[in-house]
Amino acid sequence: MRWCPSLLLFGFLAAVNALSSSGNRLLVVLEDAEEKGSYSTLWGDLEGRGYNLIFESPKNEQLSLFELGDRAYDHILLLPPKSKGFGPSLSPKNLVDFMNSDGNVLLALSGKSTTPSAISSLLLEFDLHLSTDRSSVVVDHFNYDTLSASDKHDVLLLPRPGSLRPDTKNFFGGEGVLAFPSANPHTLGDNSLLAPILRAPTTAYSYNPKEDSNSVEEVFATGSQLALVSAMQARNSARFTLLGSVESLQDKWFSATVKAPGGNQAETANRDFAKQLTAWTFKETGVLKVGKIEHHLAKDDITVEDLNPSIYRIKNETVFSIEVSEYNYDRFIPFTVPTNDALQLEFTMLSPFHRLTLHPTATTANSTIYNTAFTVPDQHGIFSFRVNYKRPFLTYLEEKHEVTVRHYAHNEYPRSWKISGGWVWIAGLWSVVGGFLAFVFVWLYSVPASSVAKGKSKKMQ
Amino acid sequence: MPTKRPSATPSSAPSPSPSTTPPTTLLSGPKTLSANASVSDIACNVWNQYLTTTPQRTMLLDAFMAFLVLVGGVQFAYCVVAGNYPFNAFLSGFCAAVGQFVLTASLRMQTSPSGSGEGEGNKSFSAAKAGKVVGDRSEGVKDGGVSHERAFADYIFGSLILHFFCINFIN
Repeated sequence: MRWCPSLLLFGFLAAVNALSSSGNRLLVVLEDAEEKGSYSTLWGDLEGRGYNLIFESPKNEQLSLFELGDRAYDHILLLPPKSKGFGPSLSPKNLVDFMNSDGNVLLALSGKSTTPSAISSLLLEFDLHLSTDRSSVVVDHFNYDTLSASDKHDVLLLPRPGSLRPDTKNFFGGEGVLAFPSANPHTLGDNSLLAPILRAPTTAYSYNPKEDSNSVEEVFATGSQLALVSAMQARNSARFTLLGSVESLQDKWFSATVKAPGGNQAETANRDFAKQLTAWTFKETGVLKVGKIEHHLAKDDITVEDLNPSIYRIKNETVFSIEVSEYNYDRFIPFTVPTNDALQLEFTMLSPFHRLTLHPTATTANSTIYNTAFTVPDQHGIFSFRVNYKRPFLTYLEEKHEVTVRHYAHNEYPRSWKISGGWVWIAGLWSVVGGFLAFVFVWLYSVPASSVAKGKSKKMQ
Repeated sequence: MPTKRPSATPSSAPSPSPSTTPPTTLLSGPKTLSANASVSDIACNVWNQYLTTTPQRTMLLDAFMAFLVLVGGVQFAYCVVAGNYPFNAFLSGFCAAVGQFVLTASLRMQTSPSGSGEGEGNKSFSAAKAGKVVGDRSEGVKDGGVSHERAFADYIFGSLILHFFCINFIN
């Protein structure tokens, strides 16, 4: 009896420990219940990380993403439908609404079946484009698996993706090779919210296997124009990931042995990549959180009353600090800014008067404190401290704290004699005053003798 | 002093004071110049003329004005050389000198007996006017119909206002 509560507590902790930062209700939309078995490793991994998997068929009439106006699930994993679409409850509009209320979606496609037009129009909402025939497969005659696709060349072998830009974090890197069987390629529109995770090799091209022609005449896109995995992070930081090859999630490819032409046999790293991809999409990684924000005058003894004042004076020395954490699978860790990147503070009134790099000054168990000091500009008005940090693969930080900046009070200026440069003019003024007094004095004592005499003579008259 | 007095009185030409010497004293000075005198001679003559013919109060005014020009010039030169950083200090210091100069100049215009031809005309006019209005011209009434005492009081009043503003402005 005694261990019962502790076991309960342990179980509770285990459930809490491995959890997405935004809930654990994961809806898996799977048309064919028989297919469920071929992804058992993925389901096991997801449940092991604390997700509560709910399998639904898109044909289910009862399925609804919302319940009483609130999200019924936190995340959706969509596997490609066999029929014409996902049905009325998973229409593009519903999925966009779901993302607008902070839900995350992972959509997997397959090159084996024609993608329904409903999905194509959903992808157009995010500026992701499929080929017009919607049933293309990426083929690469240089990076294919010789063991399983020696004839069709449609199982692509790719290295793990590097970081998107030199100044972004790489959430998908690692060792090993990825196998992408019959991948459905897509291209990315010109949209700053989109980021490719994995692009096709430069020698790849897109090909429609249903056209029985030996030569490819009109290619939709070639080379690294084709993306195999892409991510869209909406402005509310809801995440949408498009995976071109659902087969790469299957048990078969989680632990397959592959061999590139001219290469050695190797185990695929698909399982690790699937973990990274689902973890990122379902907000287990790359989630930033702001803790304490403090700003105050730069002085030594700071009391509670001095923190975050609502008013500053021009030319005040000011210190600003912000605490940032990053969620990493099961807990918050101190956030470190990638090299070549900077977390910046803006002191802004309509436009920034200061844009300063925040430097890490202290680290707590699960956060880093970034700090900077600056002089309030010589301009009074309503200013705001802004931290606007929006980077691919990281949830967006946008903090805005308004303060008033007043001008000098009339008794805060230095007295004239404090400024040694003005001493000459002060001396000049006082010499004028002194000269005036001396002049008045001499004038009064130099009454003209004649007028005195005249006065006398007048009196005499 | 008595040497200068005569020069002061003729300026109040129409006055019937008996002690007035003829206007020839205006030209008196040390000596009259020949037509081809040298520049230094002319300067010396002008200076001597000034010394002998100017009343003592007017000379005092001139000395004070020269002092103000000097003070103002020094302040302006300092501004040019060292920059105008406490600009209000420069403004009030320099404007005090300039303003005091202007006030002193107007005091000189109101009290100095000798003046230009226009001044003479004014004098005679004002004297006539004063004669008409007052009938008996008092001794103090001179140029523009303002007595020396009144002019001096105005001057003190204006100067005090100027100093008040300048001292406040220099902070």
